Amino acid sequence: MIDVVVIGLGPAGLSAALKLAESGRTVKLVAKGEGGFQLSQGTVDILGYSPERVTSPLAAISGLPGGHPYVGIGADKVRDAVLWLRDTVGDELLVGDLAENYVLPTAVGAMRPTALAQPSMVAAHQASSYAVVGVRQLKDFPAELLAGNLGCQVAWVDLPARKEVDSSAHMFARAMDDPGYARRFASAVAAVAPKGAVLLLPAILGVKPGTWRRISDQLGRPIAEVPMQPPSVPGIRLHDALLAKFKAAGGRVIIGSRVVGCKTAGGRVASVTVAVAGGPRDLRASDFVFAPGGFASGAITVDSRGKISEPLFGLPLTQTDANAVVGPDYWAPHPLFEVGVETDDAGRAKYDNLYLAGDIIAGAERWREKSGEGIAVATAVRAAESIMGGRA
Amino acid sequence: MSARSEQSKHLRERLNNELKRVSLDHCVKCTLCEQYCPVYPVTELFTGPKFVGPQAERYRDGDSVDHSVDYCSSCGTCTVVCPQGVKVAEINSLARAVMKVEHGMPIRDRLITETTIMGKMMTPVAPIANAVLGNSLARGVMERVVGVDRKAPMPTARSQTLHGWLRSRPKPTNKPTRGPVVFFHGCAGGYFEVDAAKKSIEVLEHIGFKVLVPKQGCCGLAHQSNGLFDRATDQVRALVTQLRSAGTDLTIVSSAGSCGGMLRHEAHEILGLDDPELLDVGTRTRDISEFLMELHDAGELPTDFKRIDLRLPYHQPCQVRSQGIGMPAADLLRLIPGIEVVESGAICCGIAGTYGLKKEKYEIAQAVGKGLFDMVAATNQGVVACDTETCRWQIEKSTGVRTVHPVVLVHQAYGLS
Repeated sequence: MIDVVVIGLGPAGLSAALKLAESGRTVKLVAKGEGGFQLSQGTVDILGYSPERVTSPLAAISGLPGGHPYVGIGADKVRDAVLWLRDTVGDELLVGDLAENYVLPTAVGAMRPTALAQPSMVAAHQASSYAVVGVRQLKDFPAELLAGNLGCQVAWVDLPARKEVDSSAHMFARAMDDPGYARRFASAVAAVAPKGAVLLLPAILGVKPGTWRRISDQLGRPIAEVPMQPPSVPGIRLHDALLAKFKAAGGRVIIGSRVVGCKTAGGRVASVTVAVAGGPRDLRASDFVFAPGGFASGAITVDSRGKISEPLFGLPLTQTDANAVVGPDYWAPHPLFEVGVETDDAGRAKYDNLYLAGDIIAGAERWREKSGEGIAVATAVRAAESIMGGRA
Repeated sequence: MSARSEQSKHLRERLNNELKRVSLDHCVKCTLCEQYCPVYPVTELFTGPKFVGPQAERYRDGDSVDHSVDYCSSCGTCTVVCPQGVKVAEINSLARAVMKVEHGMPIRDRLITETTIMGKMMTPVAPIANAVLGNSLARGVMERVVGVDRKAPMPTARSQTLHGWLRSRPKPTNKPTRGPVVFFHGCAGGYFEVDAAKKSIEVLEHIGFKVLVPKQGCCGLAHQSNGLFDRATDQVRALVTQLRSAGTDLTIVSSAGSCGGMLRHEAHEILGLDDPELLDVGTRTRDISEFLMELHDAGELPTDFKRIDLRLPYHQPCQVRSQGIGMPAADLLRLIPGIEVVESGAICCGIAGTYGLKKEKYEIAQAVGKGLFDMVAATNQGVVACDTETCRWQIEKSTGVRTVHPVVLVHQAYGLS
């Protein structure tokens, strides 16, 4: 009775699950925990460096070497997939046209290229000058460092989210959804904010997508949210929006249980085994999307002797000896992080009905080239479309 | 060595060997547990699961210094959402048990956990018991002397227990076509929430099962979440023996949302019990909605439901979510034509078993539940569904809206009521 089981709740798993559910498939999404977008900047990178900084991500895709996850998909399909995501969440959450990357300041004042960003962030792109305002009770936001690296002025406001000396970004964002607090915050900022074409504020301007506009309107000058550490408020917005859409489309979700095994027959996956409280359950389905992440989530492991493996399905990896792909130079490229699984043009590996999406796929050091969400969404949409019958 | 320090040493060893070493260092400080914690955002008295768990635990070697762990409600959400497999809730439950052994515990925590004794004492004098619990003077005394908040929800005593009903009801007329299952109703189902238990039995019988209902006591969950591990262990072991007396290879179907979780994982993971009998019972236990949805996924659930036109707020209790089974009650209710299920989206109703009864935590529990209560008020058409007894009392008391087990609506849709 279940058409597709999707494993993973990050940008790849959520995108594949939503696309399939919207096409009328019965989809069950299984994840060992929360994560994904909340651990990101809340933007969608497609290609930021290759290896020099990329201006047009779409144009640069055609220049990528063979073996890169984008190459088998092609620039047009990458664009279609990412635009589908943008239009699905709407322009209160993601803007950008893929022809040109935004270049936006990080919380430490480095400039980072990304393809789609939230409307609350993009005023910072190509601004002629900046100003920064930090919050004394938000210790995770290093306003002095940001301003110092941008060479602009900084000021502080003293406005606790609640009665404590140090609150998280999420706590501030929750407070900000109360219009009274948002008004006090904007007034406090207006009283101290230095001159500058764009005022940079920590990304705490509401968990709800529209809250930042109230603050911007009251300030009456261009502002831009600067993303912070996880759980990132802009990431939470994207995660919540996609999960809500998946559930509204009839999707079913299991969170907090690990997929620990599978049963296969005749070159196909018949079921995956989920370790729910009390014991294993076999989830049968016609097709499976495997979007578990890579090294960071533990989907690909390295043992103490340097053997790299994918423990769940035993998928073949592009490299199984970590000693061969870890170099001595911290700043140099790390081929280890390109290790993963190669798929066929439909996104499959090892089994006829097992489709891969996201970080598990080999061929890119995502955090270096800034391509994580783009690869996730493009491979997720490929997996979903292959299952829906458009199989190459 | 005194019995107390012996007990503390044992708990500390468990905390160290079973939880700290195998899971503490997996914490990468992503702080997602804090994002989803229901208590942390509403009170400064609780510094959040990450701080009292994976961080403070490193400093608890000499003495349990951080008493804020007592403000954890044991909802288990931090463990559910952790993407790195850190057993945050389990670490915090054990740390609290150590603290209570070393620093003593209020007599109140020993009293409010004795649910079966309460049930046995209240049933024969139900009208009097209900009158006393409804009396503000009596509740004021109870608050001052025992520490149970005067506004906290209390169960309603029934004049007939579930087993009283089972003995006196007419025998079911339809022949079982599917073989036997064991029914686990929990102490609340036996004494207070008798209606949900009866209807569960009737639904299972209606779709062809023979339902065996062995005599059964409390699962010990309330004791466990108050750090009374010895008493909890005795209780859950006795319950396991009782449930196994009905058969050792039958599925056990539970209408007690959180008590099922005690059998399935908490007794093993928090109390540290490895008894093969417990693990056997845990493996065979299914929440009733989960059981019916497993039948549905296998194409074996009759869906000749009568239409019920109803917009129905549904709240999944934290301790059902922590079983990692998805949201089977919402899936099941959506099979009934006419029902529009509105998921609460709330992490917890606040009560968390006995947490919200305590006078020092009552306001916190109400703040935790506020989003849920507002959502119920905005969406209900006279009824709310929720799988666990104390959560139903909390929602009903705080919103004034009738709150039922999801099976009550399934019972109605099958034309049984």
